[in-house]
Amino acid sequence: MAITRRAVGLMALGVVPALLFPVPLTVLAWSLLVLAACALDAALAASPRQVAVQRDVPGSVRVHQPATSVLTLTHTGPRRLRAVVRDAWPPSALITGERTAVPLLGVLTPRSRVDLAPGEGVRVRTAVRASRRGDLVAPFVAIRTVGPLGLAGRQARVPLVGRLRVLPEFASRRHLPSRLARLRELDGRAAVQVRASGTEFDSLREYVDGDDVRSIDWRATARRGDVVVRTWRPERDRRVMVVLDTGRTSAVRVLDAPRIEASIEAALLLSALAGRAGDRVELLAYDRRVRTRVAGASGAGLMAAMAEALAGVEPTLVETDWPGAAAQVRQRLSQRALVVLLTAVDPAVAEAGLLDVVARLSERHQVVVASVADPELAELRVGRDDAGAVFDAAAAEREGLEHAAVAMRLRRRGVEVVEALPADLAPRLADTYLALKAAGRL
Amino acid sequence: MSVSAPAVVRGDGTTTASRVRSRWRRSRGPLLILGLLVIGALLALLPTPRTSNRALAPDNPGATGGRAVAQILQHQGVQVQQVTTRAAAIEAATSGSTLLVIGDANLTQDDVAALAASAADLVLVDLDWSTDQFIPGVQPGWGTSTPSTRTASCAESDASAAGTITARRWLWVDPATAARTCFPDPSDPTSATVAVLDGTRDVTVLADGYPLRNDALVEAGNAAFALRVLGHHDHLVWFVPTAGAPAPAGGLSMWDLMPPWVLAATLQLAVVGLAAAFWRGRRLGPVVSEQLPVVVPSAETTRGRARLYRRSRAYGRAAAALRAGTALRFGARLGLPRSATGPDLADAVARATGRPVEQVSALLYGPPPTNDQGLVNLAHELDRLESEGHRS
Repeated sequence: MAITRRAVGLMALGVVPALLFPVPLTVLAWSLLVLAACALDAALAASPRQVAVQRDVPGSVRVHQPATSVLTLTHTGPRRLRAVVRDAWPPSALITGERTAVPLLGVLTPRSRVDLAPGEGVRVRTAVRASRRGDLVAPFVAIRTVGPLGLAGRQARVPLVGRLRVLPEFASRRHLPSRLARLRELDGRAAVQVRASGTEFDSLREYVDGDDVRSIDWRATARRGDVVVRTWRPERDRRVMVVLDTGRTSAVRVLDAPRIEASIEAALLLSALAGRAGDRVELLAYDRRVRTRVAGASGAGLMAAMAEALAGVEPTLVETDWPGAAAQVRQRLSQRALVVLLTAVDPAVAEAGLLDVVARLSERHQVVVASVADPELAELRVGRDDAGAVFDAAAAEREGLEHAAVAMRLRRRGVEVVEALPADLAPRLADTYLALKAAGRL
Repeated sequence: MSVSAPAVVRGDGTTTASRVRSRWRRSRGPLLILGLLVIGALLALLPTPRTSNRALAPDNPGATGGRAVAQILQHQGVQVQQVTTRAAAIEAATSGSTLLVIGDANLTQDDVAALAASAADLVLVDLDWSTDQFIPGVQPGWGTSTPSTRTASCAESDASAAGTITARRWLWVDPATAARTCFPDPSDPTSATVAVLDGTRDVTVLADGYPLRNDALVEAGNAAFALRVLGHHDHLVWFVPTAGAPAPAGGLSMWDLMPPWVLAATLQLAVVGLAAAFWRGRRLGPVVSEQLPVVVPSAETTRGRARLYRRSRAYGRAAAALRAGTALRFGARLGLPRSATGPDLADAVARATGRPVEQVSALLYGPPPTNDQGLVNLAHELDRLESEGHRS
């Protein structure tokens, strides 16, 4: 049961008889009259439970990518159906432009009016745009019918659950073209013609001025009667293992977004780049158990699998079990590989196992530790307002020193440490990957 | 990505009967509470024998009350009517009834004049200032804190029937008064406890209300005196004046001063307000909750550490951290190896900034500060040193 604006207006009209016959009985009589009219109207309204509802949503969308949820309503009741329908997506997913702000009454979430004769059907569209990764769930569809007088109606909540998978935004893909260009440069570059470890023979070509004489292939030169040099290209089919830390430190808000969002962006850019470079990419999200895993995907399927896997990854408030993570990595990798740990270089965490684990891993693999830096530490470090601010600065300074010490110990073991602000982490990690590839250290 | 045919759902799996049942289940608790409240309110409204704690009020069962006298009179067939306003008292006190006035502290001059003009027999008790307006020549006198027993010593029938009474206050009587006086102090001929003036109606002034009190009724001849004085007529108006502004004649309320349509329109608008509340209050389905990510503020461990430093007054540690930071940055900028010793660094910094070595050395390796101000000063000094290093 619900009443409409018209019913309130009718009630307000009761002021006229109240002025003509100014006794309280007039008010009572008019109120009862309106009440009876509303009850009659509600009784005559079509039942909202006789509408067959079907929801059609795309399987998945990216963050901030608009999508449309389509409700198909089929009226199966005997009376004409006039109703208001609400597709109950969470408020953050409803597009602001389509919300209607009503003076004094606040903001109404989008709702649609339908008018159906018995047996008719209609499609109702609701625009949604997710602002966060994960599953967007619309738990029901609410239908409120209105009676023939337009005074009152009936309401029901149809438990039709809609689920929209929201994939990571992959905003760092704008860095991809430039990195791919660098990758192609790398492929045929003269500098790698110097025989380095981990590069493989590509082709022969004529000597041009500036080529290293050490790369002249004398046998071919003798055969052709022309000076011929060998060219090399970076090795392909190397393995890249991205380990995403979903533990406590990944939940920390850095510049208004959890650290894990920047880590996911970096993982996606690296995967896209490594996938194009012909490497085999694997992903592991881990805190105290495996949260998600991508293995064996390649080509066009790789990025789809990565996005799908990373969509549902959420930080958990537990300390990451690094020995466990290392065991998972060793289980997957038999030969030398690039292991990228997306975590936070937190001195406390490093002491609690990260250092040992990374040391063990770096004996067999090339390890990169990529970490989202916190600009607030730098801000705290220069605080001088009062004693409290100076104590903050001292604590930040100490944190920075410990941080630098950990990074130093990692570097000494041959581990690459990448630290950057959230927006820069993805390109920086991609650059590190390219540099390692160029140096043949994969 | 598997695309399966979306499910079709019709209705919410309820029937009219099940909805009625669930609504009844949900609302019976509140309804029960509401019912109990209504029953409680009705019980509170039932006419219960009310009591008061006003002195000498006919409904006061306490020691200073007057309920004993009132009840005995009622049993003897006297109709006792309690009033609290002058208007009610004047209206009830007709000729052939007795008007008992308890105290004049809450009465105005107008009230006294109106009462004096009453046609009923008057019994006036505990008057402070208006005695001679009822009986000229009689004034309230002094009193004692303990009651004394007094003998009638007069021809007044009520008084001589009682013989003796106990009271605390006295009346001062002008010998020239027309009233008859009783229960005097034997040593003072101008004193009395009761003064009676006969006329078209009797006026009796009682020096104080002590003889009428519940606890004093059994003493001496108090009961006999009280019952006789108050029981002259079948109708006794017991006037206990109340403090505060008496209601204006007629009992006008706010609505009586306005045109009648104002009340009707206000009621109608209130009903419209209720309807509007119901219109806006009924939402189209419940609120859908957001799944929000957990919030862990950045640098919270750093701030926590700073607070620990501060609470334990660890100036030494804080200063060491600041100095180490400065030293590390200088070392990196000046290209010193990480193995460089303190004196090496101090030398290099002194050369870079143009300061004396001792000063730089004291700044970087001196004794730790011992208070807030010292720490702040050290931080500023280090900042200055670093900025000088920048310029070089």
